Amino acid sequence: MVGQLIVDGLATGLLLALPSLALTVVFGILKFPNFAIGATLTLGAYAAWVANTFLQLPLFAAGAVAALVVAAVCVLSDMLVFARLRDAGSIVLLVASMGLSLVLENICRFSFGNATRNFDVAIERPIRWHGLRISHEQLTSAVTVVVCVVLVQLVIYGSPLGRAMRATADNPTLAAVRGVERETIVRITWVLAGALLAIAGVLAGLDRAVDPLLGWSYQIPAFAAAILGGLGSPFGAVVGALVIGLAEELSVLVLPTNYRQAVSFAIILVLLLMRTQGLLGAKAVRR
Amino acid sequence: MIAYLSTLVVLVSIGVLVGLALNFQWGVAGLVNFGVVGFVALGAYAVALLGPHVGWFAAMLCAAVISAAVSTILAFLSIRLADDYLAIVTIGFGEVVGILLLNEDWLTGGALGIANIPRPFVSLVSAAHYDAVLLGFALALVALTFVTLEILVRSPFGRALRAVREDPIVAGALGKPVLRLRIGAFAVGGAVMGLAGALHAFYLTYIDPGQFTSITTAYAFMAVILGGRGSNTGLLIGAGSIMTLLEATRFLKDALGVVDGAQLAALRLGLVGIGIILLLILRPQGLFAEPRKRVRDFFPDDDVAADRPAAAALSARAWDADSPVPSFQHRESEVSSRESQV
Repeated sequence: MVGQLIVDGLATGLLLALPSLALTVVFGILKFPNFAIGATLTLGAYAAWVANTFLQLPLFAAGAVAALVVAAVCVLSDMLVFARLRDAGSIVLLVASMGLSLVLENICRFSFGNATRNFDVAIERPIRWHGLRISHEQLTSAVTVVVCVVLVQLVIYGSPLGRAMRATADNPTLAAVRGVERETIVRITWVLAGALLAIAGVLAGLDRAVDPLLGWSYQIPAFAAAILGGLGSPFGAVVGALVIGLAEELSVLVLPTNYRQAVSFAIILVLLLMRTQGLLGAKAVRR
Repeated sequence: MIAYLSTLVVLVSIGVLVGLALNFQWGVAGLVNFGVVGFVALGAYAVALLGPHVGWFAAMLCAAVISAAVSTILAFLSIRLADDYLAIVTIGFGEVVGILLLNEDWLTGGALGIANIPRPFVSLVSAAHYDAVLLGFALALVALTFVTLEILVRSPFGRALRAVREDPIVAGALGKPVLRLRIGAFAVGGAVMGLAGALHAFYLTYIDPGQFTSITTAYAFMAVILGGRGSNTGLLIGAGSIMTLLEATRFLKDALGVVDGAQLAALRLGLVGIGIILLLILRPQGLFAEPRKRVRDFFPDDDVAADRPAAAALSARAWDADSPVPSFQHRESEVSSRESQV
């Protein structure tokens, strides 16, 4: 029982890793919590669903198409919205991201309705291993997430681009003096975040089904994971996501299943009381 | 006709109350609350549960008190943190209230909700004339709230809140109890949201969790941004026009035959989102900017105003997103020009 819950928890946590990574890299560079991550994830799921259903692409290719589309949408929304509010302070930016979230979510609802949609994939029996049940969807998403996370960590911590990103996150003025253009880094960050959210959308749609509120259900857990890892810390976000996933699944042991969603909220509250900088973050946010 | 007018006025009044509350929390005190709907739901359920036992008036007061108490707890837990975190905590709170209402059947009736909520003054008039009474009641509630909040905004409390909004560090250095002021502002806003929930319950006499969605929160933000953050008068006009416009979109369904109900709802919410973004970019101060106060507004006969740094820091400047820095210089140059005249 507990073993199965741990497997499910790791799967849930890995799914959460991508949105919380997207949230944390955008926060690192632009210094505002992007409340549109949920809606962006939903958009990615629908983009993949369209490519999968109407263009008859296999899910892998559909995910790639979705990543491109959503990355483009993210860059576009930065150019149209966030770039114009760059100096307006984080409160204005976060309210604007909430507005963007309404727009994106309702574009999906307007175009595809409230009905749930499923990807065109073969249904297979779950693998049984030492009494544990692991579904193919869980395996696919775990492998995809691990590959994505390793790639992102390599880029951020081991490439000149990642160094430029970290420099901009740390001190944009100093980075600019050293020849790192902030706007270029910002665009690249949005492409990265968009691609991550689209892939997360495909995996989430595979795990449940695609509907307009798909992303919303990942919103609070993703924030909890990013805060747990220390907002702005890419490695912390992944660790935080695994912890939140495990906590959500294991809470079933002591709480009614309906309250699973409340677990991440409780974790945020406890965390803000105890350790405001998160598990791995260094920055204090206490005023 | 009076029935439709009453419906419209009550719906607009609920929107205005929620907007006024958010305007106090966000516009005046600078505290973002994305969980507005959770507080409204608390108020509505408090009235529904207590109304049959203690009467509508006491139940309404309880709704305000409960909502304010929960606001205080939430604020105490998170308000001393950076603003971003408060936004996240409140959004989580809104969701958790929804989950609680849906799952605690023994108290809230679960998805079925609660029916037969007692209405105010129902024994005084016949059912045929009740619409007019409810209309008057809603207007009176809005007027009372508006006057109270306006007095609060103009009081030293409101002035200190604006100082905290502009720069908590400076306000703290001047001896203002930043944490207590913020919690107070959040509690006042919460109480008004509870009242809005009470009016909602009185109007429908039947509530269920499905009535309390994030749409309420979105409308409130749109109203505050449109009206101009910090301006109660602007909010009345902003919230009034938005709620009336949104009511009018009901008729759009008949005009546009191709759009079905779900699409219409999506269209409305999407437009609210676009409205929020456009206003933030094009007119961040809203329709009615908060009046820009100067030193001489507070010390009209005082020639040594320049020697009063506390007064200068407390005089609220308009929340001007375009110019975060220069307004202090601006004020200094103004004071020095006055001195040269003397």
